[in-house]
Amino acid sequence: MRKVESFKVATYPAVIIVFLLFAGMLFVYFTNALPALHRYGLDLYLENVWRAAEEPSEEVYGIAAAIWGSIYTSIIAILIALPLSVAYSVFVVDYAPKRLKNAFIILSDIMAGLPTIIYGIWGAFFLVPFLRDWIMKPLYDHLSFIPLFSYPPVGGYSYLSAGVLLAIMVTPFASAIIREAYNMVPFTYREAIYSLGATRYEATKILLGYIKPAIISGTILAFGRAVGETVAVSLVIGNTFNLTTALFAPGYTVSSLIANQFGNAFIYEYMTSTLFAAGLILFVIGLAVNVVGLKMLKRWERDVNI
Amino acid sequence: MNFAIETVNLNVYYGQNHVIKGVDLKIPNRGVFALMGPSGCGKSTMLRTFNRLIELNEGARVDGEVRLFGENIYSGDVDPIEVRKRVGMVFQYPNPFPHLTIYDNVAIGLKLNGLVKSKEELDERVEWALKKAALWDEVKDRLNDYPGNLSGGQRQRLVIARALAMKPEVLLMDEPTANIDPVGTAKIEELLLELKEDYTIVLVTHSPAQAARVADHVAFLYLGELIEVGPARKVFENPEHELTEKYVTGALG
Ligand SMILES: Nc1ncnc2c1ncn2[C@@H]1O[C@H](COP(=O)(O)OP(=O)(O)O)[C@@H](O)[C@H]1O
Ligand SMILES: [Mg+2]
Repeated sequence: MRKVESFKVATYPAVIIVFLLFAGMLFVYFTNALPALHRYGLDLYLENVWRAAEEPSEEVYGIAAAIWGSIYTSIIAILIALPLSVAYSVFVVDYAPKRLKNAFIILSDIMAGLPTIIYGIWGAFFLVPFLRDWIMKPLYDHLSFIPLFSYPPVGGYSYLSAGVLLAIMVTPFASAIIREAYNMVPFTYREAIYSLGATRYEATKILLGYIKPAIISGTILAFGRAVGETVAVSLVIGNTFNLTTALFAPGYTVSSLIANQFGNAFIYEYMTSTLFAAGLILFVIGLAVNVVGLKMLKRWERDVNI
Repeated sequence: MNFAIETVNLNVYYGQNHVIKGVDLKIPNRGVFALMGPSGCGKSTMLRTFNRLIELNEGARVDGEVRLFGENIYSGDVDPIEVRKRVGMVFQYPNPFPHLTIYDNVAIGLKLNGLVKSKEELDERVEWALKKAALWDEVKDRLNDYPGNLSGGQRQRLVIARALAMKPEVLLMDEPTANIDPVGTAKIEELLLELKEDYTIVLVTHSPAQAARVADHVAFLYLGELIEVGPARKVFENPEHELTEKYVTGALG
């Protein structure tokens, strides 16, 4: 009993340090963002302008395009990554030959651990031209009357390219969580569903329902990583202040905006502060996504209580 | 043809481990047939050959025949899914799906296999199955709740309803009361006595006392071998084999 207590006490400093770090970072971002927030108000987040000028009175910034880009590319990424990671998990647990199981698991762990610049360069050199020639051009040629496909895919640097690249990058994270949970489904539920005359496909569907909390958690983790990803995205998104749903248009994300502009921001009076304000919004998005996720998990727990 | 289940030289192996050893068993149609024996003797394994659920274990190999109303379910052209539609199963650990409502737990087999044509028919069948399982009165007002708040005994009756809903010809039960309190156990045993009028129930139990209470016929399995089989009365009062006598009197582990 004493041992347990002393261990608990020993964790306090760590908890306090983590909390202080978080609060301290938030404080630094907030104070540095104040000049821009003060000057532009909410327009900083709602307008799409980027006018850098050496004369401070002519500087105007509004990062709506970047916020939109972050959310849009992350949603694209999730829409692709979720089915991919569920399929990969089911494949590894149910279908992969026993001897190869570990190989597949290690493979996806390596994918998760690769430095993101590796993805970025591969994305820029291979994925972008590939998507442009094989996906965007055909869709544009035949279906450009659909707003989603209406932007001419000249360079290929676009929301779609960023979304697909992000999907590839976050799939290993989401699938690690989903796979682990799927693997842990008690055998008795497998027996139960098969004993009712289910096919493999039907059984899988039911058992995936059982691990819904893990799927939600995996999605939140993946979304968080996608929103925060910087280097790889800035290499494939085109870094352009667009605000559109057209998938093939180049855009910006908050993190790629910060990474791109931070180097020369000191030249201008309000740009650094604007970038700090942009950083703040990432905190907010992260918080919002986690709160929504927790709500969903809570509801599940309350209803189902396994 | 008047046997619900008949095994012919049935052998099961887990890898090198020979678990069921050349069992020939005839289970008559209707009534409770108890398969008893000490823990680890192969009861669960054998039961799972009757609906081919054993195939979920990758390492398991079945040799010999299991005939369901005369038809060998291990012949090449038999689809295990069709077998499982005809043979319901209840497990040692009450396992209704925790993420499905009480209603959906009963309805799921029917839905998967397209056994009912309309929502009304589904509603009727769910109610019928819950009544058959003696659970209707306890859950009729909360069919859309999840089973998390049900007691162990209620959960097990829900699983029985889930199996009955498909109107199976045979009901397999693997120690259905092993994880349930005495009151719940009594209810389930009472239920068995009702159900046996219409169904063939194969009940696995490690308790000779339970077999004596509910079974019409019993078989005694020991280390994978069928030691004795016969009408319950006869086996309990006048066992032919010394091992059986030891087992039913509790002198055997
Ligand atoms: N999935 C499995 N893999 C390997 N061996 C198993 C497996 N399941 C059971 N066994 C072995 O088979 C024997 C019979 O087990 P089981 O059928 O569960 O017995 P019972 O239900 O009578 O307790 C035991 O020796 C057990 O260790
Ligand atoms: Mg058993």
